Amino acid sequence: MRLTVNGIERGIESAPLTPLLYVLREELGITSPKAGCQQGGCGACTVLVDGEARRACLLAVAAVDGAEITTVEGLGAPEALSAIQTAFHEHYAAQCGFCTSGMLIAAHAYLEHGGSGERESIQETLSGHVCRCTGYVKIIDAVAAAAGGEITSRQKWLPQTGEESPVEVPGAPA
Amino acid sequence: MTGLDVLVPSSPEEAVAAYGDGDGVTVIAGGTIVLPEITYGRLRPSKAILLKDAGLAGITRDGSRVTIGATTPVVELTELPAPIGPCAANVADSEIRAQGTVGGNLCAGIGPEAPRGDLQGALLAVGATVRTGGSGGEKTQPLEEFLADREGKLLLDVSYDEPAAGAFASLDRPHTHDYTALAVSAARAEDGTTRLAVSGVAGHAVRLPSAEAKADNPQAAGEAAAGDATFADDALASAWYRGQTLPVLVRRALTQLQEA
Amino acid sequence: MKAVGARLPRYDGVAHVTGRTTFVDDVRVPGTLWVKALRSPAHNADIKRLDTSKAEAMEGVHAIITWQDVPLLEYGHLSALGIPADEPLLAKDEVRYKGQPIAVVAAEDETKAQLAVEAIELDLEEKPALFDVRKAFDSDAPVVHQWGNWYTHFEDEMDRRQIRKGSIQEAFDKADVIVQGVYRPAAIEHVPLETQVCQVVPEADGRLTIYSCTQALYFSMGVVAAHLQVPLNRLKFVGGTVGGGFGGKVDTATETMCSLLALKSGKPIKWRWTREEEFLCSSTRAPWHMEIADAVTKDGWILGRKMLTLHDSGAYSRFSPYGLTKHSFHHTGAYTIPNLEFDGYVVYTNRVPTTAMRGFGVTSVSFAVETHMNRIAKELGLDPFEIRLKNANRIGDTSPNGIVYTDPSTVPTILAVADELGHELPADYRTMSSEKREGELLPEHLVGQLGNPEDH
Repeated sequence: MRLTVNGIERGIESAPLTPLLYVLREELGITSPKAGCQQGGCGACTVLVDGEARRACLLAVAAVDGAEITTVEGLGAPEALSAIQTAFHEHYAAQCGFCTSGMLIAAHAYLEHGGSGERESIQETLSGHVCRCTGYVKIIDAVAAAAGGEITSRQKWLPQTGEESPVEVPGAPA
Repeated sequence: MTGLDVLVPSSPEEAVAAYGDGDGVTVIAGGTIVLPEITYGRLRPSKAILLKDAGLAGITRDGSRVTIGATTPVVELTELPAPIGPCAANVADSEIRAQGTVGGNLCAGIGPEAPRGDLQGALLAVGATVRTGGSGGEKTQPLEEFLADREGKLLLDVSYDEPAAGAFASLDRPHTHDYTALAVSAARAEDGTTRLAVSGVAGHAVRLPSAEAKADNPQAAGEAAAGDATFADDALASAWYRGQTLPVLVRRALTQLQEA
Repeated sequence: MKAVGARLPRYDGVAHVTGRTTFVDDVRVPGTLWVKALRSPAHNADIKRLDTSKAEAMEGVHAIITWQDVPLLEYGHLSALGIPADEPLLAKDEVRYKGQPIAVVAAEDETKAQLAVEAIELDLEEKPALFDVRKAFDSDAPVVHQWGNWYTHFEDEMDRRQIRKGSIQEAFDKADVIVQGVYRPAAIEHVPLETQVCQVVPEADGRLTIYSCTQALYFSMGVVAAHLQVPLNRLKFVGGTVGGGFGGKVDTATETMCSLLALKSGKPIKWRWTREEEFLCSSTRAPWHMEIADAVTKDGWILGRKMLTLHDSGAYSRFSPYGLTKHSFHHTGAYTIPNLEFDGYVVYTNRVPTTAMRGFGVTSVSFAVETHMNRIAKELGLDPFEIRLKNANRIGDTSPNGIVYTDPSTVPTILAVADELGHELPADYRTMSSEKREGELLPEHLVGQLGNPEDH
């Protein structure tokens, strides 16, 4: 079996019914898709399969033989974040970070398919993704911002977006 | 997974041949139900068939006859008229609907936490028939018969005559990944007969013949429905709750149908 | 102070959005063995026989541990605070909840580990189980622990957490109305998206490196060191990246067993619970049973509160005595009540042990108290905001455990909520503040009850 993962073609040794999630994590060492529930219920393992958001825990690797797989590692790097990654970072849409990969992939697919940025459509898109830190408002804000939609979270006690940070934070984008 | 035999047939004929009499065969269409069973060790397949390339996907029409291939993803049904469209749109989330199939939904046994197979009720209401391969050769039979005995059969497609009107009434799901605790589908055929079916009941979806007999009076039909279904307690709802809500859902579905 | 009030980027934000944050499950150690547990299928039972020999002989199995392999079998989560240990790391003679670990297996993959678990021979003799805290005190109640169905080691070996303040009898004598209520919030599972997970690596120098998802790293380190009977310098804990905990990862769930397996096998060990295990076997927020009877005047002053709390600890103590203590300190909520009689018990049942969750012990009582305030308002036909403002904690008021409030925030908080909701209030309520009660503002029942915040 073969998979093209984040643009690199790989031969696959795992048994044919191994879930794609384990192939990515254990065989290929790509760890952004998370084993949150391993039964399709949390969304943390979501990856792009030929451009469509799919649960990596629900796909036998043999069922996607030859497919092109994209994970968060393939969306952008720290020095060159994609639009949705930037929006998540700027809108504090990641708290513990465990659901973030799946959220990002689903949101990325939404934008690629011309998502309107309207809040109801974002909620519908992300309805299969669980965030237990309950940061849904900020997550929806981030997707809306990336799609050019309306942002509603109450941040009146914070300085406006775009202001220079007065403190240098290691690893933060300039 | 030593000794595992995985077949990927490339036509319906190859699929039927690979399936044989179905003994010891694990069939994987979308995989949304089977894969967790394997992951959690509840299922350790020795022979598996992946239907992804078997040519069993797609919806075709011949006059008012609609035929849906077994591996058609649930998402492709969401735009169909009621009761099937709204019922399909009420299954899981958009990503699962794009992967899970009609066949998986019709073949799903009762899950560890709740009855599965939300589409069973809607397809019963439109009087669907199924075409299967497997032991005893190719067979076409009413969906009711198939649901009662699915052993040794490989589902190929399901077909029905488009109804004159349809309706779907469901309990809300607490989360998008919950199965529907109870849902009622109703359809009026071209000849004026009304069929009613309920999903979320023990085992698999069933018709509601006593309610059908009083279909022109939604209130009376709702009251009559109670005797037609067997309910169980599970993670989603108690048998009591289902018993209390069935008459309401029947009444709503029939009222919708009258207004359709 | 240039950071205060500023909009700062999260220090871990870029790593999170690029998938580069290394959670415990993302640590890669070649040659790692996977763990599965044999867990009790019964709620309450005696272990008659436990035989791991067939499982040990299976292909791919490298180590199995049972109670016999644990240097110090019982070590309480709060042993450091003097709360006696009552929970074995692995069940020895008895199991007290469904899902309690009895043996753990390390094998080359999860399937092999699971098959070995299924090959362990276990004979249980089931006993009646206790699930309802209200039945724990009955003479014919099922027995959870031989020494009793509730915790008996509060200060001076009392069997309850008790608070007495003023005279409850006087309050009830003076009351116009007694308002009663029973509140029973249920157990809640934390459901962190990252299930319990641990990776242990035996190092060449004999030390163990333990990658842990704990919320309380040094605490877990102490627990592991105690069970293993090794000095702390033998353990190197790596933590700080938690995929959601919400209190559920204060318990040391996996680290000790994985450490023992690493020592026994000499190989790196990893245990990642399934979602099913997380739901069925991880600790939960406790169910609580709370009974309140308040002595109230018809104009809405609460003169006294009598309260009974039964805290469902599950099968073992863990943090429950501490949680109940916090609960007792907060049993008047954000309000001042001068006469109190509180009794709270940590009750054992044959359920999964319960633990911290967001406001440990306090959330339950806040729910009860606030619901009860509405009930009082309804029974008296008063505005629920007004009775809250009236009884609200102010500077100089004292808490149930005698703390003098120096900066309480009840009044401004309630006024802000009223404002936000557009709730109309009379002028004398609208102008209330947290200032000390003096002169006309000092109601009769609080005379002589106030403390001096300056002394505090």
